[in-house]
Amino acid sequence: MTPRQPASLGAAAVRPLRQPMQVNWAPLNRLGVVLFAIGLIGFVVALIAGRSQRVWEIWLVNFLFFNGIAQGGVVCSAAFYLTQARWAGSTHYRMAEAFSLYLAIGFVLFWGIFVGRGSIFPWILHPSLKQQLWLNVPFLFARDGIALLVITVASLWLVSLSRRPEARAWASRFSEIDMPPVAIRRLAPVVAILYCAIYSLLAFDLIMSLSPKWHSTLFGWWYFATDFWSATVAMGLIAVGFRRVFGPGTSASAPGVLHDIGKMIFAFSIFWIYTGFAQYLVIWYGDLPTETFFIVQRFWHHPWTLLSWSTPILIWVIPFLVLLGARPKRTPGILGTVSLLGLIGVWFLNFILVVPSLSRDRLPLGWIELTITAGFLGIFLLCAIPGLKRVAAAAFEPVSPELQPRME
Amino acid sequence: MAAASRPHELPVSEGSMSEVAVISTFDSDEECAQGILALHDARIHEFRAFYPFPSEKIMEAVDHVRAWGRSPVRYWQLFGGITGVLTAIAITFGTSWEWNLIAGGRPIISVPPYIIIMFELLILIGGLSGLTGFFVHNRMPVFDPLPGYRSRFSEDKFGLVVQCDEGAAGSVESVLRSAGAEDITREILEAATDHH
Repeated sequence: MTPRQPASLGAAAVRPLRQPMQVNWAPLNRLGVVLFAIGLIGFVVALIAGRSQRVWEIWLVNFLFFNGIAQGGVVCSAAFYLTQARWAGSTHYRMAEAFSLYLAIGFVLFWGIFVGRGSIFPWILHPSLKQQLWLNVPFLFARDGIALLVITVASLWLVSLSRRPEARAWASRFSEIDMPPVAIRRLAPVVAILYCAIYSLLAFDLIMSLSPKWHSTLFGWWYFATDFWSATVAMGLIAVGFRRVFGPGTSASAPGVLHDIGKMIFAFSIFWIYTGFAQYLVIWYGDLPTETFFIVQRFWHHPWTLLSWSTPILIWVIPFLVLLGARPKRTPGILGTVSLLGLIGVWFLNFILVVPSLSRDRLPLGWIELTITAGFLGIFLLCAIPGLKRVAAAAFEPVSPELQPRME
Repeated sequence: MAAASRPHELPVSEGSMSEVAVISTFDSDEECAQGILALHDARIHEFRAFYPFPSEKIMEAVDHVRAWGRSPVRYWQLFGGITGVLTAIAITFGTSWEWNLIAGGRPIISVPPYIIIMFELLILIGGLSGLTGFFVHNRMPVFDPLPGYRSRFSEDKFGLVVQCDEGAAGSVESVLRSAGAEDITREILEAATDHH
């Protein structure tokens, strides 16, 4: 065996990557607490000042954004099991599931929308006889609450199964053709199907119903594709973050792993524009005022034009053009920048889906929005820390010899 | 299935003696891959590997010793894709200008539906062009049996065939034997044998 010999020839043992490193989580913890405190103060002050509409608008935006990342991440993990993905040992499972704890908090935060429902949903003040059967408060919150509870429980169950030793052992056997543990094999497709159904329902109920006269049957599909993509860019940020802390040579930060995450970001950004364009084209062809106004208001009317045009640029144009080659995907600075811009793009997207329906000619983006968003971010970071600790531990676990060249 | 070398890499076959093919047979793809690495270590670059199924080990070994780098097929693909988009623009814009039909009050040139035609032709012509490039660079199809080919290389054995001068054949055989070849034979090649 020569020193330059390919790894697959003659190698047999599973090798450890390198000595584990300790991570100081205190700064992230402190940041989370500070952001949460800022958010709480902003929330209370804004409510006292009588700005309840702006408070609940931005509450809804942030609920959709952060829940989308956390839920999309668990669905990524389910998708990895369905495709038997073992390209980073078990580390990419830990990355995808890193934010899963937030789902339990997200379920509680959902009921904030119930509290602020009078400031958000126009069909409460102006009920429509035609839509009343579907759009009424008890039915909407009962179905969405139950649906959210079901998918949260199923997701946390999948994550707990995925963290068991037998699942981790399966993920580390790259060259075997054995299937994942049977419980995961049964639950993963259930979570994926529930996600498609429930996040379509949430998109129809919590976003489309804000403009009760507008409808698009593709909207739910497009919306859960967006959330799935937001989870892939969050994984990109995690990988780049660990690259800064650990350097290359771990299964969380190796160039090969960055490359794979970059490919996912690239591919699903194309899927996002594909579903978006499919939806747009149907509306364009029909040219019915009840369908076109939703797009015209956002893309052609002040003050929404800039924010609206920035979303396809941040979510598709930049990831597509920048991540076209292999080298940018493997370069932490580039992948991290694209991922961060992508997350900002998804936040903008949620903002322009929700807010213009409620304040047509005014762009409410001030201290209320910033502080409450900071609060949500703080909660999200605090919930992410236990998951990120698991990523850090998995990053130094032994990998199959076949994966070794990708980790160097 | 065969992995070939490039004709300008002929360190052991440049001479005035008659040229032979040293045909070695291996039991497993792993031994065959070891043989490729042994030939590389002995600075013998003119060889062809035959294997009955796509063996990752052999392909990795060939890739390792050849260091071929990136495939030129991607340029065919790029050129085809750009041609496809330009063709679609010409067809959609051209026909609209030619016929000047106003449909549904929209402008004569209405880009959104044209994007679909552009996308489809990008994929179609890009794909066909890439396929053409694949055949051109692989020099496929091959109708005559390659020098040194044996039918068992398509059944249960793996083969390494080295083209070299008769004088160098002994040293090539010893390299292959030490790499684990179970059977080694020679075949004298015609003077006009084409190097694929």
